[in-house]
Amino acid sequence: MKSWISFILPNDEYKRLKMLHFYAEGGVLLFISMFVLFLVNDYFGFGPDAIVLLGMMLFIFYVSTRYMFAGIEYPDMTSEKSYRKEVRVTLMRSVTFLGIFTGFYILLVDIPATQEAWIDLAGIAIITSAVMFISTYISLKRSYRKNREFL
Amino acid sequence: MKNNVKITRMKRSITQQHLARKVGVARQTIGLIEKGQYNPSLKLCVAIAKELGVTLDDLFWEEEEE
Repeated sequence: MKSWISFILPNDEYKRLKMLHFYAEGGVLLFISMFVLFLVNDYFGFGPDAIVLLGMMLFIFYVSTRYMFAGIEYPDMTSEKSYRKEVRVTLMRSVTFLGIFTGFYILLVDIPATQEAWIDLAGIAIITSAVMFISTYISLKRSYRKNREFL
Repeated sequence: MKNNVKITRMKRSITQQHLARKVGVARQTIGLIEKGQYNPSLKLCVAIAKELGVTLDDLFWEEEEE
């Protein structure tokens, strides 16, 4: 079936169907949350920027969480050896990100002058790379378990 | 949906990975089809049947028990 959304969908038909479901669920949730916000925003008083940001975050968070837990990111991983190797690669990628992020921040923004500024930088970098690692690890583990079931 | 994909594939000594590569899907998709947890498109059914050298009836037709 031809649709403009095809270019962001995977080639594998099962994965494509799953992703379509996730996008559709995310879209419906977004609509419902916007409708609810429209009704009750007089009480909360969110500005237009906050509402747009909230909507985008809800959609991205929902779709990526569903994707992460679906176990479809690594559809060909079945051996323990390749699983362990991928865990190591994921860990290395997260550590590399930590270094690159800190390096770019110091180069492009500023060298933190106080201890508090260093802690802020380290906090952002560590939390981001930890989230990156955990989300990939969950996806990897779910994919591996799912693939083992089908052997 | 029950099917004979796994039995037919094993009779021909073809791995899931090989079949998946030949019909252009992921190994996981073949596994899901074999377990009856995913109903493939007609296009994929035909591709699998051709690759295994059997008809769609052989793979996907359920015989009614008398």
